[in-house]
Amino acid sequence: MLFYSFFKTLVGKEVAVELKNDVELTGKLHSVDQYLNVKLEDVQVVKKERYPQLLAVKNVFIRGSVIRFIQLPASDVDVQLLQDSCRKDNQSGKGR
Amino acid sequence: MSSSVDEPLDLIRLSLEERIYVKCRGERELRGKLHAFDRHLNMILGEVEETVTTPEIDEETDEEIIRTSRRTVEMLFVRGDVVILVSPPLRTA
Amino acid sequence: MVHRETEARGPAQPHAIMAATLEKLKDRVICVITNDGRNIVGVLKGFDQTTNIILQECHERVFSTTAGVEQVPLGLYIVRGDNIAVVGEMDEEADAALDLSSLKGDHLKPVIH
Repeated sequence: MLFYSFFKTLVGKEVAVELKNDVELTGKLHSVDQYLNVKLEDVQVVKKERYPQLLAVKNVFIRGSVIRFIQLPASDVDVQLLQDSCRKDNQSGKGR
Repeated sequence: MSSSVDEPLDLIRLSLEERIYVKCRGERELRGKLHAFDRHLNMILGEVEETVTTPEIDEETDEEIIRTSRRTVEMLFVRGDVVILVSPPLRTA
Repeated sequence: MVHRETEARGPAQPHAIMAATLEKLKDRVICVITNDGRNIVGVLKGFDQTTNIILQECHERVFSTTAGVEQVPLGLYIVRGDNIAVVGEMDEEADAALDLSSLKGDHLKPVIH
């Protein structure tokens, strides 16, 4: 649940999602769920001349399993808080 | 809490806030500071340098050329299922 | 958990965004990108919790770099959730404004897990 909670803090922020088919989408993070499926608003394909498939699409649902990376707005990430909750999580989560 | 290392994830926990090396699927390598991870090896890395290696065939000589491209990303979430291996920083004391 | 202050945002149940998203899109035109790189456009008629999707009057859009988009009628399709990469909400006005017959683009690569 660490990353689910973390991504919820980034709702409304601009992110870039890189998929496992090499397509990169940018947009505003609308929502996220426990599988790390994400929904983006005002989406743009980074190389839209090469991949015009989503030209008429504004909002997308992306299955978490096809995501490779998500680029995050560094200034909106509280690294200290993230690290602390990560340590806590991995302590209580031992043996699971 | 002890700092004993008896499971692989313990070693990763000890690498928090250190620069680590991550080899990913698709000939991708990442070097960055580990800010968070979970048991799926989902991770958040900071000041990431990504290296992508792609083999290309030179059409004239028919030889294979290895092309590498680099980019840096300030803050990156990495989905655990693309991770092949994680290497903690070398400790030379 | 951490970041408690934002807990109120997002779906009530942690796994509900898929259902919530698709519920809103019922009877609307959606665009599905499958894991093998195909692009299917049709009217969303139904779905279940595993993201299996019923598409009515759907067609496949085949993109190529040498010719415009070819539209292949498919009819009624059920797409298995595991093979769905992206579901896009079609802006029908924007789509109508596209000249598909002259639109060129690369095939999407398959998703490699």
